[in-house]
Amino acid sequence: MDNIIEVRHLSKWFGENEILRDIDFTVKRGEVVCIIGASGSGKSTLLRCINLLEKPSGGEIIYHGKNILDNKHDVYAYRSKLGMVFQQFNLFNNYNVLKNCTIGQMKVLHRSKEEAEEVAMKFLQVVGMDQYINAKPSQLSGGQKQRVAIARAMSMEPDVLMFDEPTSALDPEMVGEVLNVMQGLAKSGLTMLVVTHEMGFASEVADRVVFMDKGVIAEEGTPKEIFNNPKQDRTKEFLRRILRENKAE
Amino acid sequence: MTGKWFIKVIVDYWPMFLRGAGVTLYISIIGTIIGAMIGLIIGTIRTIPTSDNSLKRGFLRIVNGILTAYVEIFRGTPMIVQSMVIYYGSLLVFNIDMDKMFAGIFIVSINTGAYTAEIVRGGIISIDKGQFEAAHAIGMNHGKTMLYVVLPQVIRNILPAIGNEFVINIKDTSVLNVISVTELYYQTSSVTGNTFRFFEPFLVASIVYLVMTVTVTRILRFIEKKMDGPENFIVIPGNQMQVARPEDVAKKR
Ligand SMILES: Nc1ncnc2c1ncn2[C@@H]1O[C@H](COP(=O)(O)OP(=O)(O)O)[C@@H](O)[C@H]1O
Ligand SMILES: [Mg+2]
Repeated sequence: MDNIIEVRHLSKWFGENEILRDIDFTVKRGEVVCIIGASGSGKSTLLRCINLLEKPSGGEIIYHGKNILDNKHDVYAYRSKLGMVFQQFNLFNNYNVLKNCTIGQMKVLHRSKEEAEEVAMKFLQVVGMDQYINAKPSQLSGGQKQRVAIARAMSMEPDVLMFDEPTSALDPEMVGEVLNVMQGLAKSGLTMLVVTHEMGFASEVADRVVFMDKGVIAEEGTPKEIFNNPKQDRTKEFLRRILRENKAE
Repeated sequence: MTGKWFIKVIVDYWPMFLRGAGVTLYISIIGTIIGAMIGLIIGTIRTIPTSDNSLKRGFLRIVNGILTAYVEIFRGTPMIVQSMVIYYGSLLVFNIDMDKMFAGIFIVSINTGAYTAEIVRGGIISIDKGQFEAAHAIGMNHGKTMLYVVLPQVIRNILPAIGNEFVINIKDTSVLNVISVTELYYQTSSVTGNTFRFFEPFLVASIVYLVMTVTVTRILRFIEKKMDGPENFIVIPGNQMQVARPEDVAKKR
């Protein structure tokens, strides 16, 4: 399998604080990687550094063999190839569901309106939102919004789709519909990088699980290795805590 | 006595009031539209994020300095004084004899621009950061993000404030009488000159001003509602499964 993204020695400072330290990891084509870890451990910052919403302080990000942190690299073309699904959905408030999925295709990929709408409809069907193309974001439930956000990202036909806690802002009864869509996408062979607190999803869907702690990758491996047989004490401690929390709910 | 004069002023001089109201409305509409565009452009420039490139950064700083001075000067001095300075100043210093109507529109536009620049800047700052990030994440640069995502929302949000500027302009064009623009106040003064009555002509003028501002406010409300679109959306009926299986769709590709 070829590597889509290789992160090497990535570091990120916010002022005096080193938030990410010497991060090394790769995402291979067709792989589903889940990133877990306590809140504040740097998971979001890592995703945001990968698509350059935050500027990394050091290290390299190799995409198709090229370091995208070189100044010459076209940031916008690169970002259009990485999809991002946010915890807060961030649908464009000024557009309806369909236009949310076509505007990027038309203005960034320069597709015609017809082609863009055809692609958008295909993915809106995948997420089960094709009946709502006329709705404005404010008229949708959280779960519906997130499914549209997934369709919007998919409509750009990205190489990798990144999710930053896609179900954390949802009411419990809506978590399932979003996870189902994500599971379907994973099965279809999409490369995915998912920050999540849904351990069930991670153990079922991930090819690899990365555990982050205080800005470093503390441990990574298959879901079996991480969940059934963690090597590090801090991994064990984190899993014990999160299982207790989940049970309490 | 007053009632009789009131009727007489209307009957004898209604064309002058009408012409004055026409000029007032004309200058305020054009001035508000041009001013809003000036404000939109300046507000947008003033929120451009600082660049890594030091040349661009230096250039932007100079432009921002000029724009800040513009906003401060026009917000910080009365329009009646600006009118005199601009109209007579251009005549004296540059030997330009401005058309009065042009001068009026120019002054109102540039004033409205100074106020709306701040309204627009506030509007841009108050848009959720997530909107910018989502646009960046699908590969839009700053310009596209502003054009397709942020500014449409800003314009919708500031429409009430722009409407407010419009209403203020209808009233404030009255100061243009100092440079003899034939707007409603100027015309009313002419009527007082002919009739030697003050109360009745200005009572008529107040009513005309009030009718204009109230009508404009109503029309703007209506436009805002129109822009928001219908309150309900139509679910497109279909006999597909609620969630299509990605495998099926993947096959179709
Ligand atoms: N823009 C920022 N400025 C300063 N500190 C930040 C910023 N963003 C995140 N941080 C800090 O970085 C650390 C990691 O944050 P984050 O990546 O959001 O963690 P996680 O997503 O794992 O919860 C936190 O301590 C947070 O306070
Ligand atoms: Mg986070």
